[in-house]
Amino acid sequence: MDLPSGVRNFSYAKDMAIFRTKAHWALLLLLLVLIFTSPLYLGNHWLSVANLIGITIIAATGLNILTGYCGQLSIGHAGFIAVGAYTSAVLTNRFEMPFLVGLISAGLLAGFVGMIFGIPSVRVKGFYLAISTIAAQIIIIWVINHWTSVTGGFNGIPVPPAEIAGITFISQGSQFYLIIGITILVIFFAKNLARTKVGRAFVAVRDNDLAAEVMGINLFRYKLLAFFIGCFLAGIAGSLLAHWIGFLSAENFRITDSILYIGILIIGGLGTTIGPIFGVIFIRLLEKGISFIAPTLESTFDLPAGFTTGIGPMVFGLVIILFLILQPRGLAHRWQLFKASYRLWPFSY
Amino acid sequence: MNELLQFVITGLTVGMVYSLIALGFVLVWKSSGVANLALGQMVLISSWFAYSMLAQVGLPTWLGLIMVVVFALALGWIIERFILRPLIAQPILSLITVTLGLAFFLEGLVSFIWPKSVAALPHVLPQQVIHIGTAVVSMEYLLAAAISLALFILLSLYFKYSRMGIAMRATADDQLAVQACGIPVTKIFSRSWMFACVLAAIGGILMSSIGGITYGLVHTGLKAFSVVILGGLNSFLGAMIAGPIIGLAENVGDGYLTPLTWPGVKDVIPFIIIIIVMFIKPYGLFGEERIERI
Amino acid sequence: MNLKKLLKVTGLVCLALMLTSIPLLGAGCDSGNKVKVGFSICYTGVAAEKGRPMGNAKLDCMKYINEELGGVAGYEIEVIWRDNEYNAAKAATIINELMDAGSLLFTTNSSAMMTASATTANREAFPGFAVFSTPSLTNPPQHIYAQMPDYGDDWAAFANYYLDNIWQGEGKPKMALHLLNNSTGAGARAAAELLAEDMGIELLPIEEHDATTISEIASLTRIKALEPDVLYISSTPQPTSIIIKDAVDLGIYPGVTIGLGHAGITSQLIELAGADVVEGVYGVYPTVNWDDDVPAMEKMKEYCLEYHPEDYGNMDYITSWAEALIVVEILRLAIENVGVDNLTPQAVEEYGFKMLDNFDVGGLHGPVSYTEGDNRLSKSVRVFQITSGEISPITGWIEAPQIPYVFD
Repeated sequence: MDLPSGVRNFSYAKDMAIFRTKAHWALLLLLLVLIFTSPLYLGNHWLSVANLIGITIIAATGLNILTGYCGQLSIGHAGFIAVGAYTSAVLTNRFEMPFLVGLISAGLLAGFVGMIFGIPSVRVKGFYLAISTIAAQIIIIWVINHWTSVTGGFNGIPVPPAEIAGITFISQGSQFYLIIGITILVIFFAKNLARTKVGRAFVAVRDNDLAAEVMGINLFRYKLLAFFIGCFLAGIAGSLLAHWIGFLSAENFRITDSILYIGILIIGGLGTTIGPIFGVIFIRLLEKGISFIAPTLESTFDLPAGFTTGIGPMVFGLVIILFLILQPRGLAHRWQLFKASYRLWPFSY
Repeated sequence: MNELLQFVITGLTVGMVYSLIALGFVLVWKSSGVANLALGQMVLISSWFAYSMLAQVGLPTWLGLIMVVVFALALGWIIERFILRPLIAQPILSLITVTLGLAFFLEGLVSFIWPKSVAALPHVLPQQVIHIGTAVVSMEYLLAAAISLALFILLSLYFKYSRMGIAMRATADDQLAVQACGIPVTKIFSRSWMFACVLAAIGGILMSSIGGITYGLVHTGLKAFSVVILGGLNSFLGAMIAGPIIGLAENVGDGYLTPLTWPGVKDVIPFIIIIIVMFIKPYGLFGEERIERI
Repeated sequence: MNLKKLLKVTGLVCLALMLTSIPLLGAGCDSGNKVKVGFSICYTGVAAEKGRPMGNAKLDCMKYINEELGGVAGYEIEVIWRDNEYNAAKAATIINELMDAGSLLFTTNSSAMMTASATTANREAFPGFAVFSTPSLTNPPQHIYAQMPDYGDDWAAFANYYLDNIWQGEGKPKMALHLLNNSTGAGARAAAELLAEDMGIELLPIEEHDATTISEIASLTRIKALEPDVLYISSTPQPTSIIIKDAVDLGIYPGVTIGLGHAGITSQLIELAGADVVEGVYGVYPTVNWDDDVPAMEKMKEYCLEYHPEDYGNMDYITSWAEALIVVEILRLAIENVGVDNLTPQAVEEYGFKMLDNFDVGGLHGPVSYTEGDNRLSKSVRVFQITSGEISPITGWIEAPQIPYVFD
């Protein structure tokens, strides 16, 4: 394991701890302080970008548990996010339930719907599963669009701001604390899940599900559990998204977004906790950068009219392809290498 | 009753067009085991290329069509050589996601080169309307169905009797064994992608001649997935039969279900079929069930 | 192997440069004697078809205002525009960016992007308007305005025209609705369901189609069986062309009157369906044509041909040129009334938006006024008919009545 030389562990608990040296704790503390003071020096704009990143990290972490750890490819993640978003919106708007009830039910319902569409995973995998999750998303969106009396249909549904114990999260800054708080909890949960029996069972299923079954892992149970957890987190992300934007329309949940989540995992690194975080930050900032730079480039250099329109998807597609070919383990692997070389520097041999 | 006849005829002809697109998918799956999720985008880009040749450059139809086929061959070769080949022997997850990346890339490329989002392709098919009993069907659809049937027969024969076709089947079965026999596997992959692109191009030309070129072609690619799922991933016959079934289900189901459910039910019927097939018979009507060994 | 490594290193370096350059570029904006406005444009993404010409038009118009007219009341207009990629989450960050950057008002092209921005904007009382809008944006009226009549107004205007001028028979005409499965269709549906009965129109069961449809024979067969007198389609050009072609194949048209909402009746429709197929189709549109002789037309054509000739003839270009003219008029009114030093978004709303009174928008579309309780800025449409491949107006401006929607 990657520890500086001279650090020894004398108990199992210590050996398994995530943060093991004083330097680790110091860095963690520094990072947390940095994150929680950022509303002081970031404007609303960058805070809103941070909020979006936080929400995306939650959803991507869910997909990572499902696809990265358990190996069940889902191209319908945006559909499950939509289930969560609409559950929360309908409960808080039409039934005037508190936000926390909406948040939890969003997760539960999305997880439940995910489980139903995950049932085929027991018999099929790979491409079959990918297509059935695409179908799931299309069906979910169709139902949302047409169940007008509940979801508002094509007209959409307004969502009241989140409120917990009398505190209303309206400004970007206050929402930042809510969203980042939950994001940190989710990351902590995901990191620990991977180290439990369940997490190891997921990995076994991913690597070879038949072998896993032979070893006594109940495939039905663990695959559905993976769907439940993955979609539960999607639902949580959806609920936060709904309260953050303040208005929902089913148009916001497209197949393209589902593919984006897969891309995020590929770029970040499948099956690592840190991967989705890197992936999300990379993709969101890349998008931001492209949508900022492309129009300027087009007008400055007199590029053809399609430049701005095409460059975004092209770069994104290219990034996925290049990562798959050149860096299949994603940015997380790069990070590992960096940490190793930093630790060993200057005597890297 | 009159309506039923109309629904059936429309369903069958539209379904045959889906079959045509699905054949391209089966082709690649059959010979290289890659699930091509960029199907719709391949249809889209070749339709736009056809538009360039026929409408923008103004070539005569026959020359334009040849150019499109050449373009499709080149596209298939490029895709295989630069995207799929470096990934040989990678996990199935990578192979699927790389086609997703390809889908994004092609979509971007299309809007990069052809910034308008809708265009009409000059009509390559005659436009008359044919009356069958009380029902009507447009000549375009009938011809499209005929072409798709012809291509199906051609492909089946090719895979059954031609040396290359047999080699392709063998490759899908066991790449190592085929390599040991001295058959160039990469060449086979390359060829199957080239053929698949040609099929996508033909499908694209037919469909955009009927309905114009739009982003919607991508969505038709999605519907073709329901065809391959129902028919079985590695069966041309399955694709050919499942297409009309999906078309029928869509149109007849739409005809009688719309009053019972919400309008627009037609658009989800193929996807509901996917889910049902997954539950009942995941390897489709004619698909080969693979027995996995550890 | 070395090549791979080189690729990786250059990739990482490019990435690092890009990431560091974003905040730097963002910080580079500096304002002098300028008034700022924000445009959130769906320049790319699935709605780029409309967003791109509209974005081009408003930026061209701003160039014209700043360079030829010296800005508004002597102050240069600084345009902050961002591409929202027709993505709600992005639109929600952009609205914050526009507010942070100190713009006085903002606009979006589409109703979808406005709904994603509206919550934030309404909370902060940051005024803005959407070019194409949906009834739920302006009902109840808050700080968001609508430039054009919406899809519901289209339906109402067409139904009025139909009853007055086309319908000859006895009793109630039977109207079939074929609607796109998004807000374009939903707007028309909401209006039809609210008003049809009082107007004396019998609505047949509603049919719906997807933007990606390739055959509507089945739905039209059902419509045909009910023997409608008039078919109203609220959709975009491509599905509309499919529907009309299939209606011709089925022998419904000619025979039935066909009316289109403003999203459908464009030159693309004629190109896609063929001039002979759509001959005689009616449609409602809220702006003038490219050939009409109105005051603003000359400059618009000049700029369009110089900077974006590919958009020439596109109706969306007109719409958005008009949008920019309205933005300028709002700013002019606000500066006139409170002075440039006291400009805040709230002041712009109070003394700009709400002071709009019969501004003629260079004749590009119906006059723009603010009436208490009605956040639609322009309320007028014209009825057009397609004759020998040309879309020609057959009425003057018809004011669409405000429809008493209730949204929760």
